[in-house]
Amino acid sequence: MRSFCIWAAVVRLEVKGISKRFGVNRVLRDVSFSINDAEILGLIGPNGAGKTTLFECLAGVLPADQGCVFSNNREVDASQRSSVLFFVPDGIAPWPNQPAQWALQFSLGFWGGRRHLYRDVVNELGLEPFLRMPIGTLSKGQRKRVLLALGLLSPQPILAIDEPFDGLDLRQSREAAAALRNHVSQGRTLFVSIHQIGDAAKICDRFVLLSDGQVAGEGKLEELAALAGERLGQAPPSDFEEVFLALT
Amino acid sequence: MRSPDGAWRWLLRKEWRELMTSPSWWVMFTLAGPLVGLSFISAVRAYGEASGVGGVAGGLADALWPLDGVLVPTLSAYEIIALFLLPFVAIRVVAGDRQSGAAKLELQHPMSSLGRMGAKVLVLFGGWCLAGIPAVMACVLWKIYHGSIYAPEAGTVILGHLLHAGLIIALAAAAASMTEHPSTAAILTLAFTVGTWVLNFVAAVQGGLWERLARYTPSEMLATFQHALLRLNVVLAALAFIAAGLVIAAIWMRLGVAVARRVVESAAVVVVAAAIVFACSFVRADWDSSENRRNSFSEADEETLATIKTPLTIEAHLAPEDPRRFDLEHQTLSKLRRILPDLTVRYVSSTSIGLFEQANAHYGEIWYDLAGRRTMSRITSSEGVLETIYGLAGVLPPKEDEPELHGHPLAARPVGAAPLFYAIWPMAIVGLGFYVKRRKR
Repeated sequence: MRSFCIWAAVVRLEVKGISKRFGVNRVLRDVSFSINDAEILGLIGPNGAGKTTLFECLAGVLPADQGCVFSNNREVDASQRSSVLFFVPDGIAPWPNQPAQWALQFSLGFWGGRRHLYRDVVNELGLEPFLRMPIGTLSKGQRKRVLLALGLLSPQPILAIDEPFDGLDLRQSREAAAALRNHVSQGRTLFVSIHQIGDAAKICDRFVLLSDGQVAGEGKLEELAALAGERLGQAPPSDFEEVFLALT
Repeated sequence: MRSPDGAWRWLLRKEWRELMTSPSWWVMFTLAGPLVGLSFISAVRAYGEASGVGGVAGGLADALWPLDGVLVPTLSAYEIIALFLLPFVAIRVVAGDRQSGAAKLELQHPMSSLGRMGAKVLVLFGGWCLAGIPAVMACVLWKIYHGSIYAPEAGTVILGHLLHAGLIIALAAAAASMTEHPSTAAILTLAFTVGTWVLNFVAAVQGGLWERLARYTPSEMLATFQHALLRLNVVLAALAFIAAGLVIAAIWMRLGVAVARRVVESAAVVVVAAAIVFACSFVRADWDSSENRRNSFSEADEETLATIKTPLTIEAHLAPEDPRRFDLEHQTLSKLRRILPDLTVRYVSSTSIGLFEQANAHYGEIWYDLAGRRTMSRITSSEGVLETIYGLAGVLPPKEDEPELHGHPLAARPVGAAPLFYAIWPMAIVGLGFYVKRRKR
């Protein structure tokens, strides 16, 4: 019962001991954390911390050297990862010659996504003006919004997004954040990496701090602040940026 | 998650759309017209002149067959297209997803990599068939000129080109899948192609092992079909190579699998393919689909030769580049191998051109050994070789009572071909390209 009190939220995915090495460079070292149901978990870390590599290992598009992933206490092999998690990479322009509208229809047909949400997602992310334009001709922000739509329409319960607000202006970031939050309120679970600490603090329920390929902390803002205070030997910092700097 | 069948249909649709928006495919499609047209017009013109256009044909006209005169030269344009244009189309289709990042999304569907590769190959095959429209146009024009087409030999040549394209697609797909960048894949594919040409050249000069290896190059394989000879071992070996290339491409599409495992799996595929190709070399079934039985002796000779059951060994002291060896091999021994399963042929020479071996008294000798009975001759013509074998076997040569086959001379000019292939086709394809591009949006 005690453990029930501690883990009030239902663990949707448990990541244990993920390690990855590129040659002599150890990018991920024994990374372990958990993703709870219907939360937004933020992956925070400085450049080169291994955030993208971690996402790709989790999604099964990059082989991890070690580690495993559990869902409902059952190990999920890399080849079966797509049954629980969909990953939206950053900086890609998939099917550049195809119109955005077709790409969304393809994603619905190919993955069998949430077709009933199509109109809502298009409206939430303001895709209508450029739906008929080829993805390769879209601006970085427009492309990012199409990618977010692809993710939101995917059928998997967990959506992992690498830098969801990269390329978006302030207004678009707010609209995208609202859309993500809306889908979480409907039961979706999000795991996002966010470069901007301020943005992360606004949208995420919990955080995983990644530094030099290792988990430097996991928990809610106040839990991380307490941990940072412990490390610094002083009162917990009130600012998330200070917490981040103290722990990474 | 979508059912595999439904997802595969979506993937197929996506691959087709990607092909239809691929500039490399449109370039290939557009250029197929002028290239086929150039070959066709030259071939018809030469055929017409040899048949008597603007002069007297003499006895040459009777020896003219559309297979050598028109069909093979016209379709040879597809050998060029397959070698220099098709690889770029295939590489674009296979590597495009990785370049754009779409692969990272698509790989998150639990579809097998063979299924993914199957969709790509099916689309490439469809694209290649569409590029075959100019060949159909050339055949229609040839028929309009009252030219003759013998369907079995035409089918054999077309099958050869399809298998040749399949080999190029498999090679390009494997290269595109294994390398990080399309340009590297293109260089690898072209290096392989040029490498096979070098192998063919070395084989022609050196003979021996090189000659045996060169039999497996795409151009040598195609040459067999261009002689209207359908050999089951060549077809099976080509299919094995194609399957191996595509499976390797599928293996390397799985970005989520460790590289070491992919290397081991690829090596296993190579070993299995090599074993299949080796086993294919023992398959002897073939079919001479030519109208004039160019790959066969007369039926009477074949019946007589079939009565010789003892193993025959022929040892020819001729250098690889000696024209007599070429005649002996192509006019006689290649036909003899089809009839006598226990035939062993050995070439003996110490130089490649034979020019400096002429002083050797034994140079030019052809030794025949049939169950211990030996004889020597220097004749390289079919008639001479068969006479020697009959004499050694103690059988009477058959009476030649088969009617002489006459060719199909046609004193025609390529009327209307130039505007069709050089102007109407390119303009129509460019127009179609713009229409498709607008419609896709």
